[in-house]
Amino acid sequence: MTTPTPTASEHRSTDDPRITLDEGVGVFEPIPPYPPRTEREAEFYTLGDGEMFINMGPQHPSTHGVLRVVLKLDGEKVVDLDPVLGYLHRGVEKLCENADYHQTISQVDPLEYISSLFCEWAPVTAYEKLLDVEVPRRAEYIRVLSGELNRISSHALFMGWFALDLGGLTPILWSFIERDEIVEMLAALTGQRMLFNYFRIGGVNGDLNHEFLSRLGDWMSRAVGQVEANTKLLNENEIFVRRASGLGVVDQETAIRLCMTGANLRATGIPFDLRRTHPYSIYPELEFDIPTRSEGDSLARYLLRMEEVKQSLRIIDQCLDKMPDGPIMAKLPRLLRPRPGRAWAAVEGPRGVYGAYAISDGTDQPFRLKIHDPSFIHLQAVGALLPGNLLADTMAIMASLDPVMGGVDK
Amino acid sequence: MTALARTWDHLTLPGKALFILIPLLALLTTGLIVVIALFGKQILDILIFNLPIVRFVFAATVLLLLAPPIAFVIIYMEMKIIALMNLRIGPDRVGPWGTLLSTIHGLKVLMKEDFTPTRADPVVFTWAPVVVFATMALSVLVIPFAPGLFAQDFNLALLYFFAIGGLTVVGLLMGGWASFNKYSLLGGLRSAAQIVSYEIPLTLSVVGLVILAGTMSLNHIVQQQGVYVDATGSHGSGWFLDWYVFRQPLAFLIFAIAATAEANRTPFDLTEADSEIVAGFATEYSGMRFGFFFFAEYIGVFIISALTTVLFLGGWNAPFPFPRISWLVDPGSLGIGLLFVVALVPLLGTLLLAAPFYLFRSQTRWWVALIIGFVLFNVVAGGLFGLWAYINFDWVAGLFWFLGKTFTLVFVFVWMRGTLPRVRIDQLMGFAWKWLLPASLLNLFVTALGVLVADALRGGPA
Repeated sequence: MTTPTPTASEHRSTDDPRITLDEGVGVFEPIPPYPPRTEREAEFYTLGDGEMFINMGPQHPSTHGVLRVVLKLDGEKVVDLDPVLGYLHRGVEKLCENADYHQTISQVDPLEYISSLFCEWAPVTAYEKLLDVEVPRRAEYIRVLSGELNRISSHALFMGWFALDLGGLTPILWSFIERDEIVEMLAALTGQRMLFNYFRIGGVNGDLNHEFLSRLGDWMSRAVGQVEANTKLLNENEIFVRRASGLGVVDQETAIRLCMTGANLRATGIPFDLRRTHPYSIYPELEFDIPTRSEGDSLARYLLRMEEVKQSLRIIDQCLDKMPDGPIMAKLPRLLRPRPGRAWAAVEGPRGVYGAYAISDGTDQPFRLKIHDPSFIHLQAVGALLPGNLLADTMAIMASLDPVMGGVDK
Repeated sequence: MTALARTWDHLTLPGKALFILIPLLALLTTGLIVVIALFGKQILDILIFNLPIVRFVFAATVLLLLAPPIAFVIIYMEMKIIALMNLRIGPDRVGPWGTLLSTIHGLKVLMKEDFTPTRADPVVFTWAPVVVFATMALSVLVIPFAPGLFAQDFNLALLYFFAIGGLTVVGLLMGGWASFNKYSLLGGLRSAAQIVSYEIPLTLSVVGLVILAGTMSLNHIVQQQGVYVDATGSHGSGWFLDWYVFRQPLAFLIFAIAATAEANRTPFDLTEADSEIVAGFATEYSGMRFGFFFFAEYIGVFIISALTTVLFLGGWNAPFPFPRISWLVDPGSLGIGLLFVVALVPLLGTLLLAAPFYLFRSQTRWWVALIIGFVLFNVVAGGLFGLWAYINFDWVAGLFWFLGKTFTLVFVFVWMRGTLPRVRIDQLMGFAWKWLLPASLLNLFVTALGVLVADALRGGPA
């Protein structure tokens, strides 16, 4: 689409015709404003017959975080897309190299800001491997308990956003009620509502307290009913089911090739859950199922996450039941100098395998801390899933993969 | 003279216009007063002679003035009801229970900058909201609110309604095209596809009803759903079973679904799907031009509900035969006593209603009790006055039932918005062409056949 460039005399503001401008105000340059740098860019940014670009994000009302996707549309159908990342890049990994081991925990906190505890859990476990520390059992139980609570709050938010992207107004507010209750009780435990900064190398920051336990008990007494009531609004909704089923289907082979993990992988029928396949912490002692579904579409991903919420409730029950007495921190020097080496640790976050790869050079700062973020891995599936779908479904497919841009851009 | 010229030079364009207009207006007003004083009788005669035209102009003015308040009420309803469904509180700051919030929003859009994007087509861009609002307001003209309370009643009212309602899409397309924004363009084209598709089942579903009614005048259609007298005698039982919804249930369903799509409401609000195309055709609009789009949407909800009420739910007719109560005391027979009633009843009533609060609640001060009594008396008196008006005036009773039914339907629209997600464009079109259109054709066929068979059995004209 070519727009006629106005001559110098025509450069008038449309709002106030008395104002004459030196050059046209509207900058309608092609996107991106530089000549193509790669073959792929050249191919993408040439328009075919009847096609047009549409720029979704970074300030589109429903992209999750500051993601920008340039879509090539044919009518309403998405032909091709070019995701543009990096609007939220903060250089966390580099910052971690210049902080000591304790300080890195607060640096990695805001990566996946929806489920911060898992961002702490993976690096902390990696450091513990480097230091060869044994974490007290009570600390492990508290970690699992708070982690599962965080998983439920993350899934609750997912339900709301997914419904909102399909046009439903109410579920987001209903799910925020559940999330708010959990966030409040975690705030009672950790002191923060969002970026908890709770796990420590060798344990956790504080013991269970009265406010947390009373809030938890209050909530657990009606949690199952609440989850049922909230999901009923969507699960029995014909429009929602019709729209979400068959949307963004991933088969098993593609899912493995795309390195998908977590609920997105289990929705294709592969029962891969790090809590069972590579057990860590106290998960071997707990009873829970790994729900899977075979469809691999958005509806399966949604239903699977809601199943996981119920399993998390089971785990929380058992944690409270078996919670041992004892210390919550291992005895460690204040300044940690692990011996040179490298360690990889991964936890099963709400979005999939959340990993951390730490390299120590013997100083009190990590030589390198690499964060493996599932959101980034899942976002690359968008390129395979979106083309051929309608514009209305782009956001729904993206939401069903549940990426968090804080983790994608690091 | 030079001073005047210098003032003239310093005036802005609107200032110049006002500079000419104000003296002109003063002159016209004076002239009008003089003309009325001299030729008042003749003018009145002319007006009475052209009563239909006068009535039409008057009604159109009244309806145009009523349109924004109706929109305000529905906007407030939507905000509050969806808030309650979302387990929020909703508006509660401006006015009692936040009732004035939508009015404040209306004033707010008036004060906002009226922005035209660069490269937009200013003329089309400006006229698009006007077209949308005008079509919505014109559609209200044929709706019968109550017996005798309608702007215009003519034999093609239903056809007129659909014809004018179909023009909305022109305004939406204009707005989408002129905005120079791809989201707006998509929204405009979506609205064109959607409204044109749903126009067909919407119109076809009503044809069966028109066959049964034998007229397209909305007034007559409403009358046929209650007790009415014509050349063949008295018809109707006065019960709600006479409503067309029980004679044309399939048509009612089709009409309700198609009307939802026609009014761009959830689950068919694809033209302004905020999670897909930002705000659709209204993306680039701000200030009062956006306000017109906004009002038009809610007036659209009102008129679609009103038309559903008129066609299927009996319009102004009560759902059951209301027993006629004769007024016990004729105020005229009281004579001079009426004066005492007017003077004494409010006083005595206030004291009577205030007394329990003062006597039985020790913490209540006497003046607080008096205020409570006064408010309660006003409530009671208002209720009694309403009852009196309901019994004595047909149009009050009619308006009561009409607005009750209409706002129940508006509530259903709001309820759907709070509950349902949005359909996809291909599902939307598929539903219109594969399900609604065949269903409305089937309904038309069955109705026509039924009428033919009934006429043949009765031995009347085929």
